[in-house]
Amino acid sequence: MSQRIVVDPVTRIEGHLRIDCEVDGGRVKKAWSSGQMWRGIEVILQGRDPREAWLFTQRFCGVCTTVHAIASVRAVENAVGIQVPLNAQYIRNIILAAHAMHDHIVHFYHLSALDWVDVVSALQADPAATANLAQSLSDWPMNSVKEMTAVKARLAGFVEAGQLGPFANGYWGHPAMKLPPEVNLLAVSHYLQALDYQRKANQVVTILGSKTPNIQNLAVGGVANAINLDNESTLNMTKLYTIKSLLDEMVAFIQQVYLPDVCAIGALYADWLGYGSGVTNYLAVPDLPLDSAGTKFDLPGGTIMNGDLATAKPITSFTDPYFSENVTESIAHAWYDGDWTRHPYEEDTVPKYTGFEDDGAYSWIKAPRFGDKPMQVGPLAQVLVGAATGHEPTQRWLNFALDTAGAVAKTKLTPAMLHSTLGRHLARAVRTAVICEMAQKHWQLLVENIASGDTAIFEPPVFQGEQVGFGFHEAPRGTLSHFVVIRDGKIANYQAVVPSTWNAGPRDEQNRPGPYEASLVGNPIADPERPLEVLRTIHSFDPCIACAVHTLDVEGNEIARVKAL
Amino acid sequence: MEGNVAILGLGNVLMGDDAAGPYAIEYLCSQFDLPDTVAIEDLGTPGLDILPHIAGRERIILLDTVRSDGPAGEIRLYRKDQILAHAPSARIGPHDPGVKETLLSLEFAGKGPADVLLVGVIPERTDSTIGLSGPVRASIPLMIQHVVDELETLGYHIARRTDAREPSPWWEREA
Repeated sequence: MSQRIVVDPVTRIEGHLRIDCEVDGGRVKKAWSSGQMWRGIEVILQGRDPREAWLFTQRFCGVCTTVHAIASVRAVENAVGIQVPLNAQYIRNIILAAHAMHDHIVHFYHLSALDWVDVVSALQADPAATANLAQSLSDWPMNSVKEMTAVKARLAGFVEAGQLGPFANGYWGHPAMKLPPEVNLLAVSHYLQALDYQRKANQVVTILGSKTPNIQNLAVGGVANAINLDNESTLNMTKLYTIKSLLDEMVAFIQQVYLPDVCAIGALYADWLGYGSGVTNYLAVPDLPLDSAGTKFDLPGGTIMNGDLATAKPITSFTDPYFSENVTESIAHAWYDGDWTRHPYEEDTVPKYTGFEDDGAYSWIKAPRFGDKPMQVGPLAQVLVGAATGHEPTQRWLNFALDTAGAVAKTKLTPAMLHSTLGRHLARAVRTAVICEMAQKHWQLLVENIASGDTAIFEPPVFQGEQVGFGFHEAPRGTLSHFVVIRDGKIANYQAVVPSTWNAGPRDEQNRPGPYEASLVGNPIADPERPLEVLRTIHSFDPCIACAVHTLDVEGNEIARVKAL
Repeated sequence: MEGNVAILGLGNVLMGDDAAGPYAIEYLCSQFDLPDTVAIEDLGTPGLDILPHIAGRERIILLDTVRSDGPAGEIRLYRKDQILAHAPSARIGPHDPGVKETLLSLEFAGKGPADVLLVGVIPERTDSTIGLSGPVRASIPLMIQHVVDELETLGYHIARRTDAREPSPWWEREA
């Protein structure tokens, strides 16, 4: 007999993601992904000055502020046909790379590691054996016996005091938790170190962007970072070298801690390389532009169909029609008025809520399609496109990850195994290793360009009549695109197609499921009351649905977050 | 207690009364002279990304909307132990409010603040719209009075600006 699981953890605040699974014989048979909150924030932009749109779009999401700001200025720049000064491209690129490093580290250690790591089991670990294991993975200096002993003592103190602190809602002792105690202790110690390293990435964004979240240094046409190497209040050598040393520290952490950890944990859960593939059409856009026009990039973009790398087709510029002409959204199963599949320029956003209907409308998220196909976006798409198009840094780090994980698992791992729940984690760590090298490279490019005498940072936009454009950014969670229609210098229409829309979207007019929905089918469920396996697969996408509101519930008792009906 | 206090406004300025925290920050800056050693920031809805703004600080003052029984506009004050009294619920995404988790992580790392004051206001509406409701807007000066009182308790002298003005946050300006 089939059973229904509803994971709806956030009934205490308005909105967010709800996942429904139909389970039969210990496996997910059918799944629904539902965005529980109407965003419609695009409506707020109508009639506004396009030069200010990025200030509003970066408030869509509190975590993805930087990425919505950058996609917005690129969309308006595309509409008015501006070429952005090189310094502005490099400064933006360093910000984007630092943001991505920060985001991926937080995702692994602070958001999803607890799906795999049993913190309580770490109390059984031998610190010396833990240090040995860690030293076999990398030369990181903070993997000493002393360090592991101190972390174990700290954890024991917490547990003896009757609290599990940040780990209180983990699924401890769940039958799907399988790491040896030493690996659990290693993960806890790196969890603590990651708290410090994510702050370093944040500092880079703050130095260049004035603050974060919500950077202040962007402008349609460039950046507002005046460059004068001798002036204390502008971007100068002192600030540039502070950025360099922070980036160098981040690179060490990513190469010696984050990537090896993901490889080791992944290898010990190798069966999860067999679950969670779902939609194997992939989309990534190119990013880190190397020229003013956006025709050369340090990160490649393109599409892959049916998991076959031979089908790779590149997206080559900020104006490439292969991207802009192929994006549509369907509202067949979403709570909007009408029944259409349209290009973002032609969309409207008229809400029509009807309640959750399994075969009808069940989400506030529209279903995006590329050339009529559902697509998976995110680090896995980025890495597969890189591997398929001969991107050297991606191939090098991917081989490193497969070799390292394969050595721990004592088996040969292949790129084909990446189409999976754990493949998404491995790909995210590979992508982070690639991006941190690129951050150093773009720092070098910026310094060399300034040294050559170029201090230009801004090219003013000119508005006239109707101007239509799109801007994209390959954000940490995948392809983000903004579409804008400007009439006489005012915004007439604005649509954002965000990464989690591609991944978390509902079925379309042909009833084809979105990536979350497809990836859950076939997942094992050991205990329907504690559906850890559902969280594993959904977390592997790094979901990011409408942070919208922040009402704190201090008084409330925890509201039941999982219902097994 | 010099130089190690942060006043952090939380909330989404595009979602009605959820802008109370950011608006209160604007109000504070437009009405009072604050020492350079006190950090003041509108952080939007940072989720777990609030961590860098709390780590290593002695004292934190948070301005936010809160869920509580009572009419819109009523103010609720909470301290760290009250915020941590209930376990946080499972999070699916990084966007879920991350104050509890962040405080717990920092406590575990030994880097948490000595105390936290959360000045919360009960919202009337938190849907896609710009601008505060009447009751919440009317409560902003009282929220800020709690902030000023807390700073005075910590040893700061807080004076009203000679050029005090009505706050005019960028998100409320006409399109």
